[in-house]
Amino acid sequence: MLKVKKAGNHGILLPQLKIGLDYSGPKADHIFVSHGHADHIPWKAKGAVYATPPTSKFMAFRGVKYEVNDLPFGKTVKTNNAQITFFPAGHILGSAMTFVESDLGNVLYSGDYRTPPSPATEGFKLPDARIDSFITEATFSLPVYRWADYGKLKADITEFARSALEDDYTPIFLAYNLGKAQEIMHLLKDLGHPVQIHGAGFKLCSVYEEEGFNLGSYETYDRNTCAGKILICPSSALNNGFASNVKKKRIAYCSGWATMESRRTQLTVDKLIPLSDHLDFFELIELCKKIQPKKTYITHTPNPEVVKHYLDEAGLLSEYLDSKST
Amino acid sequence: MNSVAPNSFLLLAQTARKIRETRGSNAKIKICSTYLRSLENSDDLKLAAQFLGEGAFSDLSGKRASVGSRTYSILAAEICEIDYEKVFKPCKTAVGSSSETIEKLLTNIPAARKKWSPKNLTLKEIETIFDQLYDVSSRADKQEILKKAWLKMSPLEVKFFLRILGRGSLRIGFESKSIVSAIAKAFNHKTGDVRHVHMLTGSIGETAILAKKDSLQEATFQLFQPISFMLASPIESRSVDNYEEYVAEEKFDGMRCQIHIQNEKVMIFSRDLNDITHSFPEVVSYFSEKELPKIVLDGEICVYKDETILPFQLLQKRMGLKKPSKKILQKYPTLLISYDILFFDGKPVFELTLTERRKLLSQLSSEFNFPITTQKAVEDKDQIDEYFETALAHGNEGLMLKHKKSTYEYGQRKKSWLKVKKPGGSLDTVMMYAHAGSGKRGGTYSDFTLGISVRDDERYEEEFIPIGKAYGGYTNEELKKLNARIKEITVEKYGPTLGLLPDIVIELEFDDIQINKRTKANYTLRFPRFKAIRWGLSPDDADTLKDVEQLYKNKIDQERLKQNKNPSFEIKDLKD
Repeated sequence: MLKVKKAGNHGILLPQLKIGLDYSGPKADHIFVSHGHADHIPWKAKGAVYATPPTSKFMAFRGVKYEVNDLPFGKTVKTNNAQITFFPAGHILGSAMTFVESDLGNVLYSGDYRTPPSPATEGFKLPDARIDSFITEATFSLPVYRWADYGKLKADITEFARSALEDDYTPIFLAYNLGKAQEIMHLLKDLGHPVQIHGAGFKLCSVYEEEGFNLGSYETYDRNTCAGKILICPSSALNNGFASNVKKKRIAYCSGWATMESRRTQLTVDKLIPLSDHLDFFELIELCKKIQPKKTYITHTPNPEVVKHYLDEAGLLSEYLDSKST
Repeated sequence: MNSVAPNSFLLLAQTARKIRETRGSNAKIKICSTYLRSLENSDDLKLAAQFLGEGAFSDLSGKRASVGSRTYSILAAEICEIDYEKVFKPCKTAVGSSSETIEKLLTNIPAARKKWSPKNLTLKEIETIFDQLYDVSSRADKQEILKKAWLKMSPLEVKFFLRILGRGSLRIGFESKSIVSAIAKAFNHKTGDVRHVHMLTGSIGETAILAKKDSLQEATFQLFQPISFMLASPIESRSVDNYEEYVAEEKFDGMRCQIHIQNEKVMIFSRDLNDITHSFPEVVSYFSEKELPKIVLDGEICVYKDETILPFQLLQKRMGLKKPSKKILQKYPTLLISYDILFFDGKPVFELTLTERRKLLSQLSSEFNFPITTQKAVEDKDQIDEYFETALAHGNEGLMLKHKKSTYEYGQRKKSWLKVKKPGGSLDTVMMYAHAGSGKRGGTYSDFTLGISVRDDERYEEEFIPIGKAYGGYTNEELKKLNARIKEITVEKYGPTLGLLPDIVIELEFDDIQINKRTKANYTLRFPRFKAIRWGLSPDDADTLKDVEQLYKNKIDQERLKQNKNPSFEIKDLKD
């Protein structure tokens, strides 16, 4: 079995192969980036960096200065002691699970993932091989998180926008700039109503279009013309004056955290739509049971013990990967 | 929602959810009034109003449910077939509410989902279940009743069932004030009239029925039925520019109560309208021996010994005792000091002005010899400061300012009654958790759990334990700076809550320290708030649990000015 080490807040190191996963330190010759969210992009890189083409474009937009090698899904890169392939992770466009094979065994690193996948991604696909070590995120690691059927979430989102517009209100979706925002645009395109998206998210939309995803008709947010459009922005923008000149507006918060009633008053929103770009707790446990890895490493989670308890009950060996483990 | 029977508990739960999901109090009131109007049967209306406004039992019934959250949480874990410690508790920590956690788990977990099937229980049936719970005392019996009931409910119903049972807020952003408005709107009455009837009856359910029958005038004051209390607002929240229109009284550190008297018959009611007559036999005999005419007085029960009013912490030893022993009675003798009169000569007098009521009270006090507060005329702000110092020297909490022309109305009535209090003290505490704020403060972490040090305390294994939660007392600028620092010291995230490394020291101000055995520290602070962010201090400088214990002790042992000179209350002869 390969050794797996947590390195820093989000990075993982396979020391025997000198391979880093979302890793910023000096000990890796080859570094693989799972997706384009800021907390997973290495802030510096000493070795050769690989990412899927959409991810590498997002990295460029986020100001990454080091060189990034494109590694499309299904293509394999070989190092002197391993071969590495990206598999679609269903989280955001370009998001990848990293599959590392070597004589010492294989490792599948999930990055952030979602199955069933977001329709605004390349889908979700597992390697055919038997997995030795599965490193999984567990953001929503409690049985209070179970997502509604996607059809219902889609209907909630469409209906929220439609009924607000019908009542002469401006609908605002609070959604993360990369991934969630574009998924909502993709879902709403059939309404045929113009969308304005917060500037930080706007520039990332071109990558989706280049990859053939239709986001409908949209433009960057403009305070003077935003009334009556469908608006999309991150929740922090509302406190900084986003659409503060629009009196008649209704606000929906789209996030896995919208499961919690308390978010309603914390954010002062009209509707909570628990649309997540991660898989829910039950999907996570089911997936582990399906993959049957020899060992599961749990990471990126507030409740590793709960996940471990369920994996124990399923007879699956697991371990919380925290900064102290070796 | 149309297919749901009007008198079903499900419709009440759905209405509560809808109120929760609606913004703006008028819109909420409208939903509630439409619902109340849909209930044709008076008994159903009474229960619905009671469940939404008071809880499982009418305030007047004196009944209180005692089902602890551990009792129903363990049951929920059992129904869901999950481990209580390993799974339920972390879920509850993340969600922040037991009832919401249970709602979600019953919905999500397949093993639980198979067990329950909603049977559309009626409001009446829910009432019966609450009664059954009241009648049993063991945890096992309670769980059995709960289990039987829950399996016939949807998770949404279970959530609101628990919130109603807990008698806390339903957490739907709808206060009892709004329910009064909803009743008025539903049955076309003036809100003020419904409010008045609610004060007289002390029951939101009775009020709803009278409103529906169009017979609000039937509500009359009845001796030995408590009416809702008038409350004071903190002076800080109100600007006062006409001090001479007020009188000042010292604010006793005691227990507010209402006493109904007719000759030898005496009943005492607490602020939540509970009958507490039996807890204070010496007060009862004190008044019953005087052969008073029919009167109702408003006042404060204090522990009084050696001409000194003793601290509230000692009165706590008397509270909740159904039949205090002789020893306790000797050790903590109590006295009722009156400051208002609500009923005299066969009719209510709360429509009279304070000055007129006071005149009446003084006459009775000198005729029948019972203590009433000393009332002092106010000329200006400086005089208030002077009175305030005297009040503190007596060991009292502070001052009450009462508008001379005010009538007696229940609840907080703007500037009619104002309280002037002094902070009880302050502690240097360490920030342990940050909680995402609500309302205007959404998006930032604005609520904080503060801890004190137990590093060198052999009774604990932790370094810090929580002592209080504070929501305010900082400026926007300070909050920004705090949030920036919090980002750097976050080690754990539980949904909207962040676990922090010990780093930030907050000087925490509070009104009082009380013993609370249900907390880790065994003490709770009343009204904790920020006094200062002590950027210059480190967690090593934090106050310890031993400091808290010392503060508590000091409070108990504080020198108190005797009542023989310049007293806070007056009476012809106390020995009488």
